Amino acid sequence: MVAVGGRRRPRLAALAVVVLLAAAAGCGRDAAVTGEDGEGREVGGARQLSPVPGFDLTTIKLGALTPLTGPVAGAIGIPLTEGNRVYLEKVNADGGIAGKYKLELIAEDNAYNTDNTKAKYKQIKDSVVMFAQILGTPPTSAVLVDLKTDRMMASPASLDAEWIGEENLLPVGAPYQAQVINGLAYALGDGGAAGKRVCAFAAEDAYGEAGLEGLQFAAKEMGFAVAAIARYTTTDTDFTAQVTQLENAKCGVVVMTSLPTPTNAFLGKAQQLGLDPQYFVAQSPSWLPTYAANPLWQKNVLYVAEGTTWGDETVPGMKEMIADVKRFRPDQKPDTYFTFGYAQMKAVVELLEEAVSAGDLSREGILRASQNLGTVEFGGLFGDYGYGKAGDRKPPKANTVFKVNPGVPGGLEALKKNFASAPAQMYEFKK
Amino acid sequence: MKDFLQFLVAGLAVGALYALVALGFVIIYKATGIINFALGALALLGAYLTYNISQTWGVPFFAAVVLAMAACAGMALLIERLILSRMVGRPTFAVIMITIGLAIVIEQGVIVIWGGATLPLDDPWGLRTMPLGDVVVAQSDLARIVLAGALLAGFFALFRYTTLGVAMRAVASDQEAALAQGISVRMIVGITWAIAAAVATMAGVMLAAGGRGVEPSLGVIALVAFPSVVLGGLDSPIGSVVGGAVIGIVEVMTAGYSERIPEFLGANFHRVTPYVVLVVILLVRPYGLFGTKAVQRV
Amino acid sequence: MDALPDAPGKRALAVLAPLVFALAPLQLGDFPLSVLNVAGIFVLGTIGLNLLTGYTGQISLGHAFFMGLGAYVWAHFGGHLGLPLPVWLLAAAVAGGLLGGIISPFALRLRGNYLAIVSLGLVFIGIHIWKNFESITGGATGFTGDTRAASVGIVDFGDLEVAGRAYTVDQSFFWLIWAVVALGVLVARNIVRSRPGRAMQAVRDHDIAAAVIGVEPARYKVGAFVVSSAYAAVAGALYGSYFNFVNPDHWNLFLSIQFIAMVIVGGVGTIFGSVLGGLFVGSVPRVIETYGGRIPLIESLGVTIPEFNAILFGVVIIGFLVFEPDGLAGIWFRLKARLRSMPAPLTKEI
Repeated sequence: MVAVGGRRRPRLAALAVVVLLAAAAGCGRDAAVTGEDGEGREVGGARQLSPVPGFDLTTIKLGALTPLTGPVAGAIGIPLTEGNRVYLEKVNADGGIAGKYKLELIAEDNAYNTDNTKAKYKQIKDSVVMFAQILGTPPTSAVLVDLKTDRMMASPASLDAEWIGEENLLPVGAPYQAQVINGLAYALGDGGAAGKRVCAFAAEDAYGEAGLEGLQFAAKEMGFAVAAIARYTTTDTDFTAQVTQLENAKCGVVVMTSLPTPTNAFLGKAQQLGLDPQYFVAQSPSWLPTYAANPLWQKNVLYVAEGTTWGDETVPGMKEMIADVKRFRPDQKPDTYFTFGYAQMKAVVELLEEAVSAGDLSREGILRASQNLGTVEFGGLFGDYGYGKAGDRKPPKANTVFKVNPGVPGGLEALKKNFASAPAQMYEFKK
Repeated sequence: MKDFLQFLVAGLAVGALYALVALGFVIIYKATGIINFALGALALLGAYLTYNISQTWGVPFFAAVVLAMAACAGMALLIERLILSRMVGRPTFAVIMITIGLAIVIEQGVIVIWGGATLPLDDPWGLRTMPLGDVVVAQSDLARIVLAGALLAGFFALFRYTTLGVAMRAVASDQEAALAQGISVRMIVGITWAIAAAVATMAGVMLAAGGRGVEPSLGVIALVAFPSVVLGGLDSPIGSVVGGAVIGIVEVMTAGYSERIPEFLGANFHRVTPYVVLVVILLVRPYGLFGTKAVQRV
Repeated sequence: MDALPDAPGKRALAVLAPLVFALAPLQLGDFPLSVLNVAGIFVLGTIGLNLLTGYTGQISLGHAFFMGLGAYVWAHFGGHLGLPLPVWLLAAAVAGGLLGGIISPFALRLRGNYLAIVSLGLVFIGIHIWKNFESITGGATGFTGDTRAASVGIVDFGDLEVAGRAYTVDQSFFWLIWAVVALGVLVARNIVRSRPGRAMQAVRDHDIAAAVIGVEPARYKVGAFVVSSAYAAVAGALYGSYFNFVNPDHWNLFLSIQFIAMVIVGGVGTIFGSVLGGLFVGSVPRVIETYGGRIPLIESLGVTIPEFNAILFGVVIIGFLVFEPDGLAGIWFRLKARLRSMPAPLTKEI
């Protein structure tokens, strides 16, 4: 089949490869630049900044990898990124970082998908100094190795406890484990459900696992046995099995580590079949603002998250945020994810301030700054986070317990704000 | 025993949903010999249309369902005319892939139009229940079961007693012979698409009813219903109902008695039991329980 | 039968391809390289699926399962045990082939539509296994490797340094991935141009007729399944090493559908088309995202760029099937024929 003329081809090709590889060896690219030229120079006693990728001496560019399309976008990605932006606009309006460097956020759509996150990361990594937001546990895991290779810093919008020990990540908020422990501490304590049988309804993913870890720890510390654990998968359409299982276990408190649609369907089936515990304890990712008007949620759901009732001016962080919302986004609806994004950007800004004052906005400089950052206070929007070397970080263990009340803005009314229960304080997050 | 009955009812209700979807698959398969992977997307579209007609335009619920069924059927007819009719004589593989392409376009289109949020359907059943001896039956579950039964009876009557039904059977058994008898094969194929879309709309609405609401992942029901279709036999309406019931009950029972399932099988084993049942049955009967063995001609 | 009229074009390709292969990483940034790397992984998987679907006529929606299998082979032998690249790459091929062989008896009993659905079940069962077989897969959380384990002897693609020059992971993985792709293309070409390839096509066109002329359909159906799964597993292993992270939910039906789309867009039953299809589906969405803002039409439709992309994906599948069933390869061959200003009939070749 191979014609005579084709015989020579392989040799020709091989020759080409050899020649080119030889040429290639001479022109490798220092693409793993970590911005050595970003080191500050001493000029007249003050540290002088040098331009680095993402910083041109006037504007500091930040990246965000977040779902801007698809089901997760409307519920989480978009409001969270708006929160990022409002805090950033406030900083810019006040002059910027160190009073002079303006901030710019480049938000790219990752569609909550690991392939997209990887591609978008590569696309913008050389035009930003760090990533102010990467939304979701799988997307963050997918670029973690690149962050390490590139010496890049990123703040995950995910409450996974895994992140605490990663020096390239700047997590915020109390992890999912703490939510369960604090929620149970409230329910069995102030909530008056002491002695009730505790059960769980959990998703089959990283988030579900984290919730169950918190549950097992709470059981050990608070001295109760877990009566039943019902699992579900994303394709489940009927929750009779799960509800019956929990009903037979005579559950008095049901912890729900689940996502919005299944949680809502589960609550509906529970009402139909007469599963009526004293409390359903829901975690932050299970909520959608539309549930405020839903009687199922108003009845006996305790919602564990951060912060306080939207507009509660007794909490300084909320007061500040509401003022900024009035100033920059008067149309913004109350949304817990907006609050998350707003508070997250605060941590990022504090980190940048630290890096600028140390005179180095390079990737190494930002990593170093994160180790010297100390404690960042969130004014009650999150628990205060003790940053530092990855091994020594002290994540907050405080949460707020809400009840669903359509009468307050956003539908979530804080019952007990920013408390770290005794068992939560005992909890050690493993790396 | 009470649990068992409760699971049985729930399993039947889930099975009824599967059967509704399966009927949609079967009718198209019978006439054209292809599996329509866009059926889930049509169910999704139908549910959103129902939402739009009843909630946004204020039409009473049942009238809205009928209108949505008609609209969705019209849409399917259009798709068949514009796209699938060009594929006559092309390999099955290619036509199946077209339906996958259609599914993607319709699903994304729905998200573009209505957004990704969950929208309330406000169906007449809601979360209401009725006692049935020891067990509690959700009214929406009862409606699902009744509807699936009624539709099956309707199909039976249609195929058996109407001219259209006879024509459809003729097209299903031999397109050329049907053509020779003066039956417009094109028209019949178009009609089967329209009917399947109407049934899919019903499935989508019934899935969203009972408090779940309308949201973009409703279309997944078609994938989950696949084992029922194949179990019953791709060309058997009665098979799809039996297949739906069997798979629905097996699934809910495995979930309900999950504590008795050996641990090494893993959490949420009920997700894969339909496929386990399917594989076992197909090994014994490669054309499903009620399907006809295709004759291979050389 | 092909080399004579094509000789100039093929010779040009023989020079150009190695040229591009060697130089692209030096000229392109990490972003385009990462797109091409993922596309290369897609190409490998597409070649495998095309051997099964395009050449042997077996529709499989289970390709994502075998790719996931390969990724977890990397996870265990590479990311966890740290064994060198040839070991886990070979192990992935063997594991993929072996499991493909175990599963293929189903394919013998089932045809067309039925096979499509049962292979779809493989994806669901796979995700269940990935989430529950925690010791190797990392369970629902996924697996993050201690190392990429991408070394062959002293060459480490995870940290490449030649003559004092350091190369980024994207640069070095470009060379690694596309070298494996080249190997995959050669192997596939040899298969389809020899007796097995013709036998496979006979089975595709009519298995009973094939049996009559002395081709045993069962043998070639099983063979195609084994080879196809091995390709998918190798692609998955490279994916795992490149991402250094394996997520159980990634190996889903949508991935299988993407592979079928790549086969269709590239051209059913051509190896060359598989390369085009993988490149097209892997890179066009990124191109639109990057430059889509400049297309005025998109924004004026009230559709965002990513939404536009998602819809486009479906439209492209439909469009190719309806208007260009021979895929990009078909367009290419026709263009070539026209360039030679010869009214040559469209012949399928690789």
